[in-house]
Amino acid sequence: MQRRLANVNIWTVTAMAIIAALFLPNMTIVTGLFTPSNENWEHMKEFVLWSFIKNSLILVVATAGATIFIGLSLAWLIAQYQFPFRRFFKWALILPLSIPPFIGAYTYHGIFNYTGVIQTTLRDRFGMELNPSHFDIMNLPGAIFIYTVFLYPYVYTITQVFLSQQSASLIESTRLLGKGPWRTFFQVVVPISRISIIAGASLVILEVLNDYGVVKYYGIQTFTTGIFQTWFGLGDIETSIKLAASLMGFVIVILLIEKVLRGRRQYSYSSTKVRPLPLIQLTGWKAVAAAGYCLSILALGFFIPIAQLIEWTILTFGTIPLDEFMSYMRNSIVVAGLSATAIIVFALIVGNFARLVQGRFAKLLPKLTVLGYSIPGAVIAVAVVTAFVALDEFLAPLYQLAGMNTTLVLSVSIILLITAYIIRFFAIGYSSIETGYDKIGTDFQDASRLLGAGLTRTFLKVDMPMMKGAIISGFILVFIDVLKEIPLTLILRPFNFDTLSTKAFQYASDEKIMEASQASLLIVGISALAIVIFYKFLEKEMD
Amino acid sequence: MFVSIENLSFSYANTKATALDSFSLQIKKGEVISILGRSGSGKSTVLRLLAGLEKPSVGKVSIQDEVLVDDQTFVQPEKRGIGMVFQDYALFPHLTVADNILFGLFRMKRSAKQTRLQEVLELVELQGYEKRYPHQLSGGQQQRVAIARALAPNPHLLLLDEPFSNLDAELQEKIRKELRDILKKANITSIFVTHDEKDAHILADRIVKIKNGQTEFIGRPCDLIDVYRQEKQSLPAVSEEKELIYT
Ligand SMILES: Nc1ncnc2c1ncn2[C@@H]1O[C@H](COP(=O)(O)OP(=O)(O)OP(=O)(O)O)[C@@H](O)[C@H]1O
Ligand SMILES: [Mg+2]
Repeated sequence: MQRRLANVNIWTVTAMAIIAALFLPNMTIVTGLFTPSNENWEHMKEFVLWSFIKNSLILVVATAGATIFIGLSLAWLIAQYQFPFRRFFKWALILPLSIPPFIGAYTYHGIFNYTGVIQTTLRDRFGMELNPSHFDIMNLPGAIFIYTVFLYPYVYTITQVFLSQQSASLIESTRLLGKGPWRTFFQVVVPISRISIIAGASLVILEVLNDYGVVKYYGIQTFTTGIFQTWFGLGDIETSIKLAASLMGFVIVILLIEKVLRGRRQYSYSSTKVRPLPLIQLTGWKAVAAAGYCLSILALGFFIPIAQLIEWTILTFGTIPLDEFMSYMRNSIVVAGLSATAIIVFALIVGNFARLVQGRFAKLLPKLTVLGYSIPGAVIAVAVVTAFVALDEFLAPLYQLAGMNTTLVLSVSIILLITAYIIRFFAIGYSSIETGYDKIGTDFQDASRLLGAGLTRTFLKVDMPMMKGAIISGFILVFIDVLKEIPLTLILRPFNFDTLSTKAFQYASDEKIMEASQASLLIVGISALAIVIFYKFLEKEMD
Repeated sequence: MFVSIENLSFSYANTKATALDSFSLQIKKGEVISILGRSGSGKSTVLRLLAGLEKPSVGKVSIQDEVLVDDQTFVQPEKRGIGMVFQDYALFPHLTVADNILFGLFRMKRSAKQTRLQEVLELVELQGYEKRYPHQLSGGQQQRVAIARALAPNPHLLLLDEPFSNLDAELQEKIRKELRDILKKANITSIFVTHDEKDAHILADRIVKIKNGQTEFIGRPCDLIDVYRQEKQSLPAVSEEKELIYT
């Protein structure tokens, strides 16, 4: 603690304030556990809590299994084999991440339902008598399918990057010991990539637990839908806080399991100097099969829904007034831009603090802020509203002094929403910034200080410019996430404030699937573009 | 004495072992000191303590009677007037050679800056390289930029951490001579760390040997040879290793 703490004063104070502001609202959830329960809660506990748990568990376990299977197999194909279009698939396989699952959910529903392209084709072209219930995807298996095809890239990217950093000799020695490709895969590749598989799968699980759009649309009862129902349906915020606390407990159990599975080993980055895996050339039907497999996953997760969205957009073009549409887009970009900027600035400050401070406890503090990402949006919404209402009560005398005749100022403003985004997505920006700081180390900082520059000058002239890559990639990742966000935005947006994603969600909920497509296509377009830029940027950084 | 180091002790956070134990040294103005020792012996730790990058648990450092650190004072690294050349040079990759050197001169007037830049570039014989970026220079040139950058603000004391470790044998030879000339020309008090005795013998006015954080020897290079003679008599088995120092 001693070493530099004495002189990090402004940095320490600012960083501590940020950490507290990001962390404390979540504590209101914990206090909610101890308030006496009312009859709604008793009723819930008796009748529906169990089905929330059961449904959430089924969704989480099945989706994790399916995304691991798809993500890992794709990562292995790309890392080890050469086949037609491999270079294209390598980055294109990330694209499904640009489609928010709820958009995918209503798009696939539109494709499969009675008037959808599949049933009409089969009926009209082939004159088949169809039982519509065979085509119903608005159920648990349907939701699992949706999550899987749009979330597998989390497992794929992390594992693929990990595998491509592994030394060739590791794999080759297994081969030389006489193990065929399947045995190599199960006896070497799976065990060594365990940590990245778990990391990717945890992200998938957290996304599933956070999701509101898919389960709401498909009519599946989970914690998130329960929180919405009790809050807005019953107007019972106490019970929704209790539900939020239960969900938080659920998440904590999952994080603990992750910790145990991951074991004591930390992420190990083997040196970049190791000889990379030489690609094995696939020929004949094997090459076709490999490319075909990648293509079918990519079709399910990207091309098919995109094609459908484009068709609907063309059919409904002009039905939504352009200026209305522009205002949704502007809202989306403004809130995403503001939140991403704030997160990166805060992350730079907290990251610099984490680097300067010594001592185990102080080093642990910044980690607290990462909690926000593991807490589902609906829970954060409850927490932030509770905290802001309390803050408004506290500031009420001030409002009166200023001549305002209202007691709710902050809690009905856009600041509420942006604060919630910052809490929820801070971890995304922070991990990028933290990696950046790790990469540049402390030598440059030491050098700068010995040349007479204080901490702040060093930060501006040395750290910031050297972190450009981390700053840009962190910004892009947060921006996309805010753009796609649903539950927080629905709950916390000011009156009459709509973004592309809330609008798409509302149209879809009102069964105006086609009208929803324009906003959706725009979200997907912006996200996909950002992902491509991000990826190209990352690739340039790496060599 | 110009630099006075008394009884400096230090251990890194979360470790029990003392990285440096009661280190004392008096340095005259213009003297070149070499710190010798094996890997992990605490050489870099001495430099980091002097530079103010770590805070000693006890001990006192002063330059020209101005206390830099003791139990009451701790002068921040940027206020100490000490220059340092890092083991891997730590040249700012986003700045050109000129901007790297000018980095420490931000308090000077514009014209004075340019004059000083040309002075130090001349000293390290790198005129004409102002516009290059560090990655466009050879290892030896990078090292000279690092020296120029550290010398530019006119530090009282220059610290060099293993200045030759990243260079091949031939270049080491050349740079060693250059460094000696540069240090003498600039008449600057300096401490450099090395684990190569040859470096120490060629460059240093005095040598400090440390082992596991303890000071083993302080004296002129020729005295160190005497110590080895005695050691050699008692420990004939390891004599080959010491062959070097007679050459
Ligand atoms: N940041 C640190 N945290 C904990 N221990 C450290 C740290 N830096 C160094 N040490 C320990 O302190 C001791 C002295 O390290 P120091 O870096 O001064 O050695 P050195 O003589 O410079 O070695 P080398 O020649 O390898 O650079 C070593 O035992 C080392 O393991
Ligand atoms: Mg060292």
